[in-house]
Amino acid sequence: MIWRIIPAVLLVVVLSTSTYVIPEWQQAIVTQFGQPIRTVREPGLYWKVPLLQTVTVFDKRVLAADTGGAEYLTLDKKRLLIDHISRWRIEDPLQYFRTVRNEVGAMARLDDIITARLRQEVAKESFKEIIREKRDEIMDTVTREARTLSAPFGIQVLDVRVKRADLPTEVQASVFARMQAERQRIALRYRAEGEEKGREIRARADKEREIIMAKAYQESQSLRGAGDAQATAVTGLAFGQDPAFYGFVRRLESYERIFSPETTVVLRPDSDLLRFLYSPRER
Amino acid sequence: MSSWPPRQNLPDLEQTLQPVFDLLQRWGRRRIAIVAVAAVALLWLASGLYVVGPGERGVVLLFGRVVDETESGLRYRLPAPVQEHRVVDIASVRRAEIGFRAERGGGRAIPSESLMLTGDENIVDVQIFVQYLVRDPVKFLFGARQPEVALHSATEVALRAAVGQNTIDYTMTEGRVEVQDRVKDQLQALLDLYGTGLLVTEARLLVVDPPKEVKEAFHDVVRAWEDRERLIKEAEGYAEGVVPKARGEAVQMLQAAEAYREQRLIRARGDADRFVRVLGEYKKAQAVTRDRLYLEMVDRVLPKTRTVVVDGRPEGSGVVPLLPLRDFYPGRTTSQATPAATTPASGGR
Repeated sequence: MIWRIIPAVLLVVVLSTSTYVIPEWQQAIVTQFGQPIRTVREPGLYWKVPLLQTVTVFDKRVLAADTGGAEYLTLDKKRLLIDHISRWRIEDPLQYFRTVRNEVGAMARLDDIITARLRQEVAKESFKEIIREKRDEIMDTVTREARTLSAPFGIQVLDVRVKRADLPTEVQASVFARMQAERQRIALRYRAEGEEKGREIRARADKEREIIMAKAYQESQSLRGAGDAQATAVTGLAFGQDPAFYGFVRRLESYERIFSPETTVVLRPDSDLLRFLYSPRER
Repeated sequence: MSSWPPRQNLPDLEQTLQPVFDLLQRWGRRRIAIVAVAAVALLWLASGLYVVGPGERGVVLLFGRVVDETESGLRYRLPAPVQEHRVVDIASVRRAEIGFRAERGGGRAIPSESLMLTGDENIVDVQIFVQYLVRDPVKFLFGARQPEVALHSATEVALRAAVGQNTIDYTMTEGRVEVQDRVKDQLQALLDLYGTGLLVTEARLLVVDPPKEVKEAFHDVVRAWEDRERLIKEAEGYAEGVVPKARGEAVQMLQAAEAYREQRLIRARGDADRFVRVLGEYKKAQAVTRDRLYLEMVDRVLPKTRTVVVDGRPEGSGVVPLLPLRDFYPGRTTSQATPAATTPASGGR
């Protein structure tokens, strides 16, 4: 019985030490006493010489290097906090293993390269251009340079991006102050505009009213004049038939109108009205 | 795992298993070994069974290499060292939050993520959430390390780039949709570049606000705008009151004038008519009519007045100065009385 089990165990041991599996997300180098034998980049089951050869695996996926922000100086001497993030993968595991050994080393090297390049690029542009117009352009340049410079380390840089570009905290306060002043200006303008438009509308209405009233006055005066004229024409024609009689009749009317109970009329006995008062026989 | 049975139960178990032991005794060792190996082999083979739930996708690896993708259901693959599988949820919509974290009872703001520079050097507080799902399970599993962390930082990259392109006012008002679209597009491009296998279905800006330090000033701008509108509306109200009122007054004035014109003419006609009629009769008996008209007037007028008869002859003139003129002529009536008294006297002749 035991003679059957031993070979079986041995077979398992040999198999497990002489084969290795590289999964989809990994790649590896095979070394023999520190001497690289081959690089394995495709997933699958592989053979190696047991005991003599060792397998070192690396990640094959896209990796991130997010190192936190640093302060940069722009062309117009403004300080800017830039937090960049880069994506990279191990392109040549052997080269990678020889130069930087592991991810910690790789990230330190990458950060050196990118920060230096970024510092140069940022120093070439003004603050506004970095924030607004040239962000992508700058990052493309940095990416290209970083790609070239990191190639000797077996690293392929996919891209470098600005995750955050902020002002240092002490500058933020002055930005807030400026924003506040700007808003106050806008608020002031709105209120003044309201005042302006309001006055304009009122003045226009007042003007319109004055014009309407003046026109009405003009027309009504002319209407009244026409009435007066027509009346004058009609009465003139009639009264003109006997001006003396008109004068007589009209005066009688006036007397009726102007005498009131307060009026004292002084009559002389020889007046036309009272001429018969003392001398009834007179003609 | 269930706990072991208590120790005192063991003898019972032995008793119940006694028939099984007897059976094994009769079969012999060789057979037992074969059955045991077969059972182990069967169990080993059975370990290749797995379930892919609804809305999930299975990925089968043969010695680390992707060989198959399986739909939902009960599936089988070769057991452990040979094949293995991963199951990815591809139907459910996942959610990433930038600038805040949703928590019970509202979100918690994260200023370090949400405060960013705008193109006109202002600072704005932006919160966005992104909905995404797994489009390619193989890439999702093996394309990038921590694809969902990558999505989070790529969203920040895209958001800050989009906000940096525009002014604060544009971003806060009509630019919102544009910013959303830009973020979505750039985010998708980045995710594709990084091989995450993720698909962004929606990027929505939740909050685009001024930072709290300057919020009050921004609110005041809104209030100022309201004030502006109010002043204009008030003035318009005034205008709407004034102009029609003036028009009404004008119409009133014109109507009054027309009335005046008409009545003047009509009255004048009346006056003329009256005069002409009287004149017609007057011409027939001039002296008599004249006297009659005069005396009729006197009849009507003199009873209403205070009438004084004064002897005007030269011998009786001494009386005149004795008249208590002050009593007779109260105030202004003096000027009227004297000519009035004399005119009819002299004109009547």
